[in-house]
Amino acid sequence: MIDPTISALLAGCFALLFLSAASHKLLQPVAFAATFVAYRILPARLASLSRCVPLLEGVVGVSLLSGAARPAAAAAGALLLALYAGVVALNLQRGRRDLACGCGGPNDRRPIAAWMVWRNLILALLLALLWLPVGSRSLHAVDALTIGAGSAVASLLYMSLEGLLARVAPRVALLRGAA
Amino acid sequence: MSALALSNAVLWILVLLLSAVVLALVRQVGVLHERIAPAGALMLNRGLTVGSPAPVLEVADLDGRSHQVGSARGDGRSTLLLFVSPTCPVCKTLLPALRSSRSDERAWLDVILASDGDGAEQREFVRAQQLEGIPYVVSAALGLAYQVSRLPFAALLDEQGILRARGLVNSREHLESLFEAKRLGVASLQEYFSGAL
Repeated sequence: MIDPTISALLAGCFALLFLSAASHKLLQPVAFAATFVAYRILPARLASLSRCVPLLEGVVGVSLLSGAARPAAAAAGALLLALYAGVVALNLQRGRRDLACGCGGPNDRRPIAAWMVWRNLILALLLALLWLPVGSRSLHAVDALTIGAGSAVASLLYMSLEGLLARVAPRVALLRGAA
Repeated sequence: MSALALSNAVLWILVLLLSAVVLALVRQVGVLHERIAPAGALMLNRGLTVGSPAPVLEVADLDGRSHQVGSARGDGRSTLLLFVSPTCPVCKTLLPALRSSRSDERAWLDVILASDGDGAEQREFVRAQQLEGIPYVVSAALGLAYQVSRLPFAALLDEQGILRARGLVNSREHLESLFEAKRLGVASLQEYFSGAL
Protein backbone atom coordinates (compact mmCIF):
# COMPACT_ATOMS: atom_id res chain seq x y z
CA MET A 1 0.00 0.00 0.00
CA ILE A 2 1.38 3.40 -0.99
CA ASP A 3 0.06 6.76 0.16
CA PRO A 4 -1.61 8.73 -2.69
CA THR A 5 0.62 11.75 -2.01
CA ILE A 6 3.80 9.68 -2.28
CA SER A 7 2.48 8.07 -5.45
CA ALA A 8 1.71 11.47 -6.97
CA LEU A 9 5.09 12.83 -5.89
CA LEU A 10 6.95 9.92 -7.52
CA ALA A 11 4.83 10.22 -10.64
CA GLY A 12 5.48 13.96 -10.84
CA CYS A 13 9.27 13.56 -10.51
CA PHE A 14 9.46 10.79 -13.10
CA ALA A 15 7.16 12.67 -15.48
CA LEU A 16 9.61 15.61 -15.31
CA LEU A 17 12.55 13.26 -15.91
CA PHE A 18 10.99 11.53 -18.92
CA LEU A 19 9.58 14.70 -20.48
CA SER A 20 12.89 16.55 -20.22
CA ALA A 21 14.72 13.54 -21.69
CA ALA A 22 12.21 13.38 -24.55
CA SER A 23 12.47 17.12 -25.25
CA HIS A 24 16.29 16.95 -25.57
CA LYS A 25 15.95 14.16 -28.10
CA LEU A 26 13.08 15.72 -30.05
CA LEU A 27 14.84 19.08 -30.36
CA GLN A 28 17.96 17.58 -31.93
CA PRO A 29 16.92 14.36 -33.67
CA VAL A 30 20.00 14.14 -35.91
CA ALA A 31 22.43 14.32 -32.99
CA PHE A 32 20.39 11.78 -31.06
CA ALA A 33 20.34 9.40 -34.06
CA ALA A 34 24.16 9.58 -34.06
CA THR A 35 24.26 8.73 -30.34
CA PHE A 36 21.75 5.94 -30.90
CA VAL A 37 23.94 4.36 -33.59
CA ALA A 38 27.12 4.94 -31.55
CA TYR A 39 25.84 2.61 -28.83
CA ARG A 40 26.16 -0.19 -31.45
CA ILE A 41 23.13 -2.15 -30.29
CA LEU A 42 21.21 -2.04 -33.56
CA PRO A 43 22.71 -1.89 -37.07
CA ALA A 44 23.25 1.61 -38.47
CA ARG A 45 20.52 1.23 -41.10
CA LEU A 46 17.95 1.14 -38.28
CA ALA A 47 19.00 4.63 -37.14
CA SER A 48 15.52 5.96 -37.95
CA LEU A 49 14.22 3.83 -35.06
CA SER A 50 15.86 6.43 -32.79
CA ARG A 51 12.78 8.63 -33.44
CA CYS A 52 10.67 6.16 -31.44
CA VAL A 53 12.71 6.67 -28.26
CA PRO A 54 11.62 10.26 -27.45
CA LEU A 55 8.03 9.37 -28.42
CA LEU A 56 8.10 6.45 -26.01
CA GLU A 57 9.60 8.64 -23.27
CA GLY A 58 7.02 11.35 -23.92
CA VAL A 59 4.13 8.90 -23.71
CA VAL A 60 5.51 7.47 -20.45
CA GLY A 61 5.95 10.99 -19.04
CA VAL A 62 2.43 12.11 -19.90
CA SER A 63 0.72 8.88 -18.81
CA LEU A 64 2.46 9.01 -15.42
CA LEU A 65 0.49 12.21 -14.78
CA SER A 66 -2.85 10.54 -15.46
CA GLY A 67 -4.19 8.44 -12.60
CA ALA A 68 -5.54 5.43 -14.49
CA ALA A 69 -2.56 4.80 -16.82
CA ARG A 70 -0.01 5.28 -14.04
CA PRO A 71 0.84 1.61 -13.23
CA ALA A 72 1.24 0.76 -16.92
CA ALA A 73 3.34 3.88 -17.54
CA ALA A 74 5.47 3.05 -14.49
CA ALA A 75 6.07 -0.46 -15.85
CA ALA A 76 7.05 0.89 -19.28
CA GLY A 77 9.26 3.57 -17.72
CA ALA A 78 11.03 1.10 -15.42
CA LEU A 79 11.64 -1.20 -18.39
CA LEU A 80 13.03 1.71 -20.40
CA LEU A 81 15.37 2.71 -17.54
CA ALA A 82 16.52 -0.89 -17.07
CA LEU A 83 17.09 -1.14 -20.83
CA TYR A 84 19.29 1.99 -20.77
CA ALA A 85 21.22 0.54 -17.83
CA GLY A 86 21.73 -2.67 -19.78
CA VAL A 87 22.88 -0.85 -22.92
CA VAL A 88 25.37 1.27 -20.96
CA ALA A 89 26.62 -1.81 -19.07
CA LEU A 90 27.06 -3.72 -22.34
CA ASN A 91 29.13 -0.91 -23.84
CA LEU A 92 31.21 -0.63 -20.67
CA GLN A 93 31.77 -4.40 -20.95
CA ARG A 94 33.01 -3.79 -24.49
CA GLY A 95 35.55 -1.38 -23.01
CA ARG A 96 34.09 1.69 -24.71
CA ARG A 97 34.67 4.21 -21.94
CA ASP A 98 34.83 7.17 -24.32
CA LEU A 99 31.28 6.77 -25.63
CA ALA A 100 29.18 9.92 -25.08
CA CYS A 101 26.21 8.92 -22.97
CA GLY A 102 23.71 11.30 -24.58
CA CYS A 103 21.96 11.68 -21.22
CA GLY A 104 21.70 15.44 -20.89
CA GLY A 105 21.08 16.25 -24.53
CA PRO A 106 23.55 16.13 -27.43
CA ASN A 107 25.78 18.91 -26.07
CA ASP A 108 26.51 16.78 -23.06
CA ARG A 109 29.67 14.97 -24.08
CA ARG A 110 30.20 13.05 -20.84
CA PRO A 111 31.35 9.51 -21.39
CA ILE A 112 29.35 6.58 -20.07
CA ALA A 113 30.36 5.31 -16.63
CA ALA A 114 29.47 2.56 -14.20
CA TRP A 115 27.57 4.91 -11.87
CA MET A 116 25.08 5.56 -14.66
CA VAL A 117 24.10 1.89 -14.65
CA TRP A 118 23.46 2.01 -10.89
CA ARG A 119 21.62 5.32 -11.19
CA ASN A 120 19.25 3.88 -13.80
CA LEU A 121 18.64 0.71 -11.78
CA ILE A 122 17.83 2.72 -8.65
CA LEU A 123 15.50 4.96 -10.65
CA ALA A 124 13.79 1.90 -12.14
CA LEU A 125 13.26 0.46 -8.62
CA LEU A 126 11.78 3.76 -7.42
CA LEU A 127 9.48 3.84 -10.41
CA ALA A 128 8.40 0.27 -9.69
CA LEU A 129 6.96 1.52 -6.37
CA LEU A 130 4.10 2.94 -8.45
CA TRP A 131 2.85 -0.63 -9.06
CA LEU A 132 1.81 -0.85 -5.42
CA PRO A 133 -1.89 -0.35 -4.78
CA VAL A 134 -2.65 3.26 -3.87
CA GLY A 135 -4.30 3.85 -0.51
CA SER A 136 -7.47 5.91 -0.31
CA ARG A 137 -7.52 9.00 1.85
CA SER A 138 -8.83 12.46 1.24
CA LEU A 139 -6.18 14.93 0.04
CA HIS A 140 -5.72 18.36 1.58
CA ALA A 141 -4.00 21.56 0.54
CA VAL A 142 -0.84 20.48 2.38
CA ASP A 143 -0.65 17.44 0.10
CA ALA A 144 -0.54 19.72 -2.94
CA LEU A 145 2.38 21.53 -1.30
CA THR A 146 4.15 18.23 -0.61
CA ILE A 147 3.71 17.12 -4.22
CA GLY A 148 4.65 20.44 -5.85
CA ALA A 149 7.56 21.46 -3.65
CA GLY A 150 8.67 17.84 -3.24
CA SER A 151 9.08 17.29 -6.97
CA ALA A 152 10.85 20.64 -7.38
CA VAL A 153 13.32 19.81 -4.59
CA ALA A 154 13.85 16.29 -5.93
CA SER A 155 14.63 17.67 -9.40
CA LEU A 156 17.09 20.24 -8.06
CA LEU A 157 18.87 17.64 -5.94
CA TYR A 158 18.94 15.19 -8.87
CA MET A 159 20.62 17.84 -11.02
CA SER A 160 23.13 18.61 -8.26
CA LEU A 161 24.00 14.95 -7.80
CA GLU A 162 24.39 14.48 -11.55
CA GLY A 163 26.67 17.51 -11.68
CA LEU A 164 28.81 16.19 -8.83
CA LEU A 165 29.13 12.69 -10.25
CA ALA A 166 29.65 13.68 -13.87
CA ARG A 167 31.68 16.86 -13.78
CA VAL A 168 33.34 17.23 -10.42
CA ALA A 169 34.16 13.67 -9.32
CA PRO A 170 36.39 12.74 -12.33
CA ARG A 171 38.50 15.88 -11.93
CA VAL A 172 38.84 15.43 -8.18
CA ALA A 173 39.93 11.83 -8.78
CA LEU A 174 42.56 13.10 -11.24
CA LEU A 175 43.89 15.63 -8.71
CA ARG A 176 43.87 13.06 -5.88
CA GLY A 177 45.75 10.54 -7.96
CA ALA A 178 48.52 13.06 -8.56
CA ALA A 179 48.94 14.14 -4.96
CA MET B 1 -4.20 26.93 8.51
CA SER B 2 -3.05 24.91 11.49
CA ALA B 3 0.34 25.53 13.05
CA LEU B 4 1.66 22.23 11.67
CA ALA B 5 0.60 23.00 8.12
CA LEU B 6 2.17 26.44 8.36
CA SER B 7 5.41 25.03 9.68
CA ASN B 8 5.36 22.45 6.88
CA ALA B 9 4.90 25.17 4.26
CA VAL B 10 7.73 27.26 5.67
CA LEU B 11 9.99 24.23 5.77
CA TRP B 12 9.25 23.39 2.14
CA ILE B 13 10.13 26.92 1.08
CA LEU B 14 13.42 26.74 2.97
CA VAL B 15 14.26 23.29 1.56
CA LEU B 16 13.53 24.58 -1.94
CA LEU B 17 15.87 27.53 -1.41
CA LEU B 18 18.51 25.26 0.05
CA SER B 19 18.35 22.90 -2.94
CA ALA B 20 18.71 25.82 -5.34
CA VAL B 21 21.78 26.96 -3.42
CA VAL B 22 23.26 23.44 -3.54
CA LEU B 23 22.76 23.30 -7.30
CA ALA B 24 24.38 26.72 -7.74
CA LEU B 25 27.34 25.61 -5.60
CA VAL B 26 27.78 22.41 -7.61
CA ARG B 27 27.87 24.47 -10.81
CA GLN B 28 30.46 26.80 -9.23
CA VAL B 29 32.65 23.90 -8.17
CA GLY B 30 32.51 22.57 -11.73
CA VAL B 31 33.52 25.96 -13.12
CA LEU B 32 36.35 26.27 -10.58
CA HIS B 33 37.69 22.87 -11.55
CA GLU B 34 37.87 24.06 -15.14
CA ARG B 35 39.54 27.32 -14.14
CA ILE B 36 42.31 25.72 -12.10
CA ALA B 37 43.11 23.33 -14.97
CA PRO B 38 46.57 22.22 -13.84
CA ALA B 39 47.84 21.26 -17.27
CA GLY B 40 50.86 21.76 -19.45
CA ALA B 41 51.42 24.92 -21.39
CA LEU B 42 49.77 25.47 -24.76
CA MET B 43 51.53 23.20 -27.24
CA LEU B 44 52.17 24.76 -30.60
CA ASN B 45 53.31 22.03 -32.92
CA ARG B 46 53.60 18.30 -33.00
CA GLY B 47 56.89 16.53 -33.47
CA LEU B 48 58.60 15.79 -30.20
CA THR B 49 56.13 13.80 -28.17
CA VAL B 50 55.70 14.23 -24.47
CA GLY B 51 56.36 10.95 -22.68
CA SER B 52 59.15 9.81 -25.01
CA PRO B 53 62.90 10.31 -24.54
CA ALA B 54 64.14 13.85 -25.19
CA PRO B 55 66.94 14.57 -27.68
CA VAL B 56 70.33 14.18 -25.99
CA LEU B 57 72.90 16.94 -26.59
CA GLU B 58 76.11 17.94 -24.93
CA VAL B 59 76.31 21.70 -24.59
CA ALA B 60 78.59 24.16 -22.77
CA ASP B 61 77.34 27.13 -20.74
CA LEU B 62 78.86 30.63 -20.70
CA ASP B 63 81.14 29.62 -17.82
CA GLY B 64 82.53 26.78 -19.92
CA ARG B 65 80.93 23.94 -17.92
CA SER B 66 79.58 21.07 -20.00
CA HIS B 67 75.94 19.86 -19.61
CA GLN B 68 74.48 16.61 -20.86
CA VAL B 69 70.98 17.75 -21.75
CA GLY B 70 68.39 14.99 -22.21
CA SER B 71 70.34 12.06 -20.81
CA ALA B 72 69.17 10.02 -17.82
CA ARG B 73 70.48 11.43 -14.55
CA GLY B 74 71.81 9.40 -11.69
CA ASP B 75 70.87 11.91 -8.99
CA GLY B 76 67.10 11.69 -9.60
CA ARG B 77 66.72 15.38 -10.44
CA SER B 78 64.66 16.80 -13.29
CA THR B 79 65.73 19.52 -15.69
CA LEU B 80 63.82 22.55 -16.89
CA LEU B 81 65.13 23.93 -20.17
CA LEU B 82 63.97 27.49 -20.72
CA PHE B 83 64.71 29.01 -24.10
CA VAL B 84 65.08 32.80 -23.90
CA SER B 85 66.69 35.59 -25.87
CA PRO B 86 68.03 39.04 -24.96
CA THR B 87 65.75 40.51 -27.65
CA CYS B 88 62.53 38.95 -26.32
CA PRO B 89 60.61 41.28 -23.97
CA VAL B 90 58.30 38.57 -22.59
CA CYS B 91 61.39 36.57 -21.54
CA LYS B 92 62.47 39.44 -19.28
CA THR B 93 59.09 39.63 -17.57
CA LEU B 94 59.20 35.87 -17.01
CA LEU B 95 62.60 35.88 -15.27
CA PRO B 96 61.33 36.84 -11.76
CA ALA B 97 58.84 33.98 -11.94
CA LEU B 98 61.63 31.68 -13.06
CA ARG B 99 63.81 32.71 -10.10
CA SER B 100 61.07 32.06 -7.55
CA SER B 101 60.04 28.77 -9.18
CA ARG B 102 63.68 27.71 -9.22
CA SER B 103 64.03 28.28 -5.50
CA ASP B 104 60.60 26.73 -4.72
CA GLU B 105 61.31 23.60 -6.73
CA ARG B 106 65.03 23.32 -5.99
CA ALA B 107 64.52 20.01 -4.19
CA TRP B 108 63.97 18.18 -7.46
CA LEU B 109 64.61 20.61 -10.31
CA ASP B 110 67.64 22.09 -12.08
CA VAL B 111 67.09 25.01 -14.41
CA ILE B 112 69.11 25.57 -17.60
CA LEU B 113 68.58 28.72 -19.66
CA ALA B 114 69.22 28.34 -23.36
CA SER B 115 69.67 30.94 -26.03
CA ASP B 116 71.16 31.45 -29.42
CA GLY B 117 73.19 34.22 -31.02
CA ASP B 118 76.00 36.60 -30.26
CA GLY B 119 78.07 35.69 -27.19
CA ALA B 120 78.81 39.24 -26.00
CA GLU B 121 75.14 40.19 -26.16
CA GLN B 122 74.25 37.09 -24.15
CA ARG B 123 76.81 37.92 -21.45
CA GLU B 124 75.42 41.45 -21.22
CA PHE B 125 71.89 39.98 -20.84
CA VAL B 126 73.03 37.62 -18.08
CA ARG B 127 74.74 40.49 -16.24
CA ALA B 128 71.81 42.91 -16.62
CA GLN B 129 69.24 40.35 -15.52
CA GLN B 130 71.47 38.92 -12.74
CA LEU B 131 71.30 35.38 -14.03
CA GLU B 132 74.82 34.45 -12.90
CA GLY B 133 73.71 31.55 -10.71
CA ILE B 134 71.81 29.76 -13.48
CA PRO B 135 73.61 27.75 -16.17
CA TYR B 136 73.24 29.70 -19.42
CA VAL B 137 73.79 27.80 -22.64
CA VAL B 138 74.23 29.36 -26.07
CA SER B 139 73.51 26.75 -28.71
CA ALA B 140 71.55 26.87 -31.95
CA ALA B 141 71.54 23.06 -32.10
CA LEU B 142 69.65 22.81 -28.79
CA GLY B 143 66.83 25.06 -30.02
CA LEU B 144 66.56 23.09 -33.24
CA ALA B 145 66.55 19.74 -31.43
CA TYR B 146 63.72 20.82 -29.14
CA GLN B 147 61.82 22.41 -32.04
CA VAL B 148 61.59 25.79 -30.41
CA SER B 149 59.33 27.93 -32.55
CA ARG B 150 58.56 30.90 -30.32
CA LEU B 151 60.06 32.36 -27.17
CA PRO B 152 59.97 32.00 -24.22
CA PHE B 153 59.71 28.26 -24.64
CA ALA B 154 60.19 25.60 -21.97
CA ALA B 155 60.80 21.87 -21.90
CA LEU B 156 60.66 19.79 -18.75
CA LEU B 157 62.78 16.62 -18.67
CA ASP B 158 62.47 14.09 -15.88
CA GLU B 159 65.29 12.16 -14.19
CA GLN B 160 65.15 9.46 -16.90
CA GLY B 161 65.60 12.01 -19.68
CA ILE B 162 61.95 11.63 -20.70
CA LEU B 163 60.26 14.76 -22.03
CA ARG B 164 57.42 15.50 -19.55
CA ALA B 165 56.06 18.80 -20.86
CA ARG B 166 56.98 21.39 -23.44
CA GLY B 167 55.42 24.53 -24.77
CA LEU B 168 55.22 28.27 -24.91
CA VAL B 169 55.43 29.88 -21.44
CA ASN B 170 54.28 33.47 -21.17
CA SER B 171 53.52 33.71 -17.49
CA ARG B 172 54.15 32.28 -14.06
CA GLU B 173 50.98 30.19 -14.45
CA HIS B 174 52.30 28.64 -17.66
CA LEU B 175 55.61 27.89 -16.01
CA GLU B 176 54.02 26.27 -12.97
CA SER B 177 51.63 24.36 -15.18
CA LEU B 178 54.66 22.52 -16.58
CA PHE B 179 55.39 21.17 -13.09
CA GLU B 180 51.72 20.27 -12.65
CA ALA B 181 51.76 18.53 -16.02
CA LYS B 182 54.65 16.37 -14.84
CA ARG B 183 52.91 15.56 -11.55
CA LEU B 184 49.62 14.66 -13.25
CA GLY B 185 51.12 12.97 -16.27
CA VAL B 186 49.10 15.18 -18.65
CA ALA B 187 50.96 16.32 -21.75
CA SER B 188 49.28 19.61 -22.61
CA LEU B 189 46.41 21.99 -22.07
CA GLN B 190 44.62 20.48 -25.05
CA GLU B 191 44.96 16.95 -23.70
CA TYR B 192 43.66 17.96 -20.25
CA PHE B 193 40.51 19.52 -21.67
CA SER B 194 39.81 16.79 -24.23
CA GLY B 195 40.62 13.90 -21.93
CA ALA B 196 39.18 14.68 -18.55
CA LEU B 197 35.63 15.45 -19.53
